[in-house]
Amino acid sequence: MSNRGRRAVAGAAIAAGLVLLAGCGDSSPLDTWNPKGVDAQKIHDLQWWVFAIAGIVGIVVFAVVAVAVVKFRDRGDDRLPKQVHGAPKLEVAWTIAPAVLLAGIAVPTLAAVFDLTKQDDPGFEITVIGQQWWWEYQYRGSYNGQSLDGIVTSGEMVIPAGVRVPLRTTSRDVIHSWWVPALNGKRDAVPNRFHDWNIQAFEPGDHLGWCTEFCGLSHANMRAHAVALTPENFVAWAKNQQKPAAKPTDPTALQGMGVFAAQCARCHTVKGLTQTVKDPTTGVETEQPVIAAPDQQLVSGAAPSLTHLMSRTSFAGAIYDLKKPGCTNDPAYDQAYPTGTAGNCLNRADMESWLRNAPEMKPMYAQLNDDKKYRGMPALGLSEQQIDLLVAYLVTLK
Amino acid sequence: MAIVEKPPTPLELAPAPVVVPRQAFGLYKRPVSTTGWKSWLFTVDHKKLGIMYGVAAFVFFIIGGIEALLIRLQLARPNGTILSAQTYNELFTTHATTMVFLFVMPMGAAFWNYFIPLQIGARDVAFPRINALGFWLFLFGGLFFYLSLFLGGLPDCGWFCYAPNSGAVFSPTNGVDFWAIALQITGIASLTGSINIIVTVLNMRAPGMTLMKMPIFTWMVLVVQFLLVFAIPVISVALFLLTFQRVFGATFFDAAAGADPLLWQHLFWIFGHPEVYILILPSFGIVSEILPVFSRKPLFGYPFVVFSGAAIGFMGWGVWAHHMFASGLGPVSVAVFSATTMFIAVPTGVKIINWIATMWGGKIRFTTAMLFSIGLIVEFTIGGLSGVTHAIAPSDWQQTDTYHIVAHFHYVLFGGAVFGIFAGFYYWWPKMFGRLLDEKLGKWNFWLMVLGVNLTFAPMHISGLAGQSRRNYIIDDVQGPWVTSMNLIATIGAFVLAVGVLIFIINVVKTARGPRNAPLDPWDARTYEWMTTSPPKEHNFDSIPPVHSIDEFFHRKYAEDHDTGEIRKVATAEEIMAEQEANADKHIHLPSPSYWPIVLASGVPVIGLGLIFSVPLAIVGGVIVLLGAYGWALEPSVADDTDFDPPAGGPSKELSTVG
Repeated sequence: MSNRGRRAVAGAAIAAGLVLLAGCGDSSPLDTWNPKGVDAQKIHDLQWWVFAIAGIVGIVVFAVVAVAVVKFRDRGDDRLPKQVHGAPKLEVAWTIAPAVLLAGIAVPTLAAVFDLTKQDDPGFEITVIGQQWWWEYQYRGSYNGQSLDGIVTSGEMVIPAGVRVPLRTTSRDVIHSWWVPALNGKRDAVPNRFHDWNIQAFEPGDHLGWCTEFCGLSHANMRAHAVALTPENFVAWAKNQQKPAAKPTDPTALQGMGVFAAQCARCHTVKGLTQTVKDPTTGVETEQPVIAAPDQQLVSGAAPSLTHLMSRTSFAGAIYDLKKPGCTNDPAYDQAYPTGTAGNCLNRADMESWLRNAPEMKPMYAQLNDDKKYRGMPALGLSEQQIDLLVAYLVTLK
Repeated sequence: MAIVEKPPTPLELAPAPVVVPRQAFGLYKRPVSTTGWKSWLFTVDHKKLGIMYGVAAFVFFIIGGIEALLIRLQLARPNGTILSAQTYNELFTTHATTMVFLFVMPMGAAFWNYFIPLQIGARDVAFPRINALGFWLFLFGGLFFYLSLFLGGLPDCGWFCYAPNSGAVFSPTNGVDFWAIALQITGIASLTGSINIIVTVLNMRAPGMTLMKMPIFTWMVLVVQFLLVFAIPVISVALFLLTFQRVFGATFFDAAAGADPLLWQHLFWIFGHPEVYILILPSFGIVSEILPVFSRKPLFGYPFVVFSGAAIGFMGWGVWAHHMFASGLGPVSVAVFSATTMFIAVPTGVKIINWIATMWGGKIRFTTAMLFSIGLIVEFTIGGLSGVTHAIAPSDWQQTDTYHIVAHFHYVLFGGAVFGIFAGFYYWWPKMFGRLLDEKLGKWNFWLMVLGVNLTFAPMHISGLAGQSRRNYIIDDVQGPWVTSMNLIATIGAFVLAVGVLIFIINVVKTARGPRNAPLDPWDARTYEWMTTSPPKEHNFDSIPPVHSIDEFFHRKYAEDHDTGEIRKVATAEEIMAEQEANADKHIHLPSPSYWPIVLASGVPVIGLGLIFSVPLAIVGGVIVLLGAYGWALEPSVADDTDFDPPAGGPSKELSTVG
């Protein structure tokens, strides 16, 4: 029996050690013990010693249990042990002791709750909007004199490093939760509610995030990125984001634009996209802006804006790489990122498969519901030629 | 074997009155058989109902376990292809719903149905037919839940079924309807059961058994019943709102119509957190019985264990929003619930220290029941301590909805509640069936389950801290090697755990085929339920001996020598039993079996089907319920002589002939 008791203690110690080790790997992009921003750092400063105290309490309890089962095991004589019924003073003591210990933990905890909920005012804020199964980010305000008003992006939230940015989270359909563990804890995105939150990164870099509130079929395929840029790069990025898309000059891309306007623009916005409309009575042809109407097609009423597609690193709810690894691993990528990378950078294979049959690449409801609306992107039944043309157009959207 | 006592007729005292058949049209005869399948179907005996609760709950445990194994297979490697996203979402919903509502809760009911009357010296519960109704509603509710598999699809909204994802737009199959109505039905079972047990415990204790002399299991169960009485109505209301929304187009949680979806979360967790204590406290009660017996010492600090249980019962109402730290409550709410959550660890800690103090200075016998109890102390402590790490709200903002939480509550529920249940199996099996479960297989059962639990759930602490989000139908290499490797280990562990459970089943089959080998008092036990035969007679006790101390049975067996302080054995269990039989009560009235509980219960799922598919069907169900209630109300508690075949006419059966 004694061996078993010891083994139990050894097992517990190993388990505790493994838990501590988990904090050490940089190979886990979602590691909650590897803070890269001020809020995550504050959480970490609080939690590591709570884990340590819990670990110590655990080891003490297991040790006492081990001693008890070894020392007081039945050795075969038939006499009953002393029938002790209790010791009230002792009992009061071990009721008060954990209460005092917990009070000691409670004080810094409560302070941290209020500290982490306080918001800074850097002059702008980002509204984070969840929907099945991707994130949209809307910017408002200005940074270093550069206006950010009207910037709408998806998949990747772009922030200037070192700035604690106020976030407002909400949702267009069910409840989601936005979480980039390297930078902060998570906050639910609830329809009809706006939840204030913060994000800050110490250094420029790309941090992975994950939706953490069960949001239906493709919950596992709803990721996020928080990309921190240097202040200069952030301004450059913002400038680029505010430009409308230029009309392509390449004839293939121009044809692709036509396919886009016919097939994709029902849901997806491209700012600056126009098409020639002939007035049925006068016969006069004019260039009219193409207005997406995702609210008539989708339950959430929104689809990602694609105006600056090539200034992102991922697509389809941030689950597929938009660029080839050879391109993103290039040191020059950081400079190219804010204003969009060249077309040859595109991860064509995944993008073409996506255009061919999106619900096969990511589970979505490919059927219309009772209200004649989709949840997620349906299979469009495009021909291979249409796909080639579309890709030629998409790579021009920087 | 046992026969329900036929009612004493006035024949002995006065000339027979004119016999008029009571039964309508001369067709209806009340069920009176005490053997065969009818004796189970129409029984109102708390022991038979306890066994039926146990069997049904164990079947659901196996179903929920198979669902868990499928989930683990899917997550063994990145991008698993065994289950589709939809099937996976259905399986984690049914796994949790099954384990919580159809296994742990009714398994608690199995134990308290069987043992509360025995522990307090009662011959049955206060309302035996309501007890039967509770069992049938639970069973029909569980079957109704799984009926969704054949009628349009299982629910896919998670056991917490958050709005608006639970709405008809986002979950268009009938799965969620089945889920909501099934829980409504099992909720009625819990509610009627809890009132029954409260009345029983407060009114039917043996003479001399004051509240503070009740066995500790009875105390913990009493706390659970009060939790049920107040918690079940909250979930019932929430489920009604959800059903009205889905079936009749109400908009209680419809964000598009302006509702605040957090309403559902508050309702769900105001029920949901007390529910956690509903799941764990019966197991705390079981191990609080077992640890003293096998340490051969009384429970250390009985009043402290009682009061800490009651304290958990009260404080359990003030912590629900810790499930919602990330849902967007303001900082004041978060701070308050963070503090209350930390302090609920105090009464739980008191229990653990008292259990260890019970072992301390004892003479510990490592039976399987004792091993599971010690296992509970260790595993629950791990779960409790990880619980403290997410009582720290900022820390929880990182951990909530990750596998760190999955690890935590499986340590609490498997290492805690389920280990307590298995401890109870091994401890009370001889009392229930007159047979001892095999101890050698029991040791295998225990060690494989300990290994399995730790191998399955310890790695989840790590994968959760490494960022693995819950309720994802796949893991991905991008999450890093800690997530992928820990998931593989967890899958292996789940199968070790399954083998452990399989060995228990083998043990049960082997024991059932073996002889009735259990002595009257196999464990040198301490409490009242051991002061009767194994299995107990239909009427539990021939006479109800008065109670003088908490460990009544122990004090009848042992006495302390006032001069030396030496404890001597003064009576054997057999002698105590013989004395009780010698003083047997002459007339023992037990309620007769009845058709009405199962008839009434069978109407309720019909109402449910009607709500989902066609209202006229609901009316049919309502009529069945109404007729059942009428039949029930007009039925006397004991069967008429003419219900017996051949009709009883002679004098009342004396106990000596009951056999």
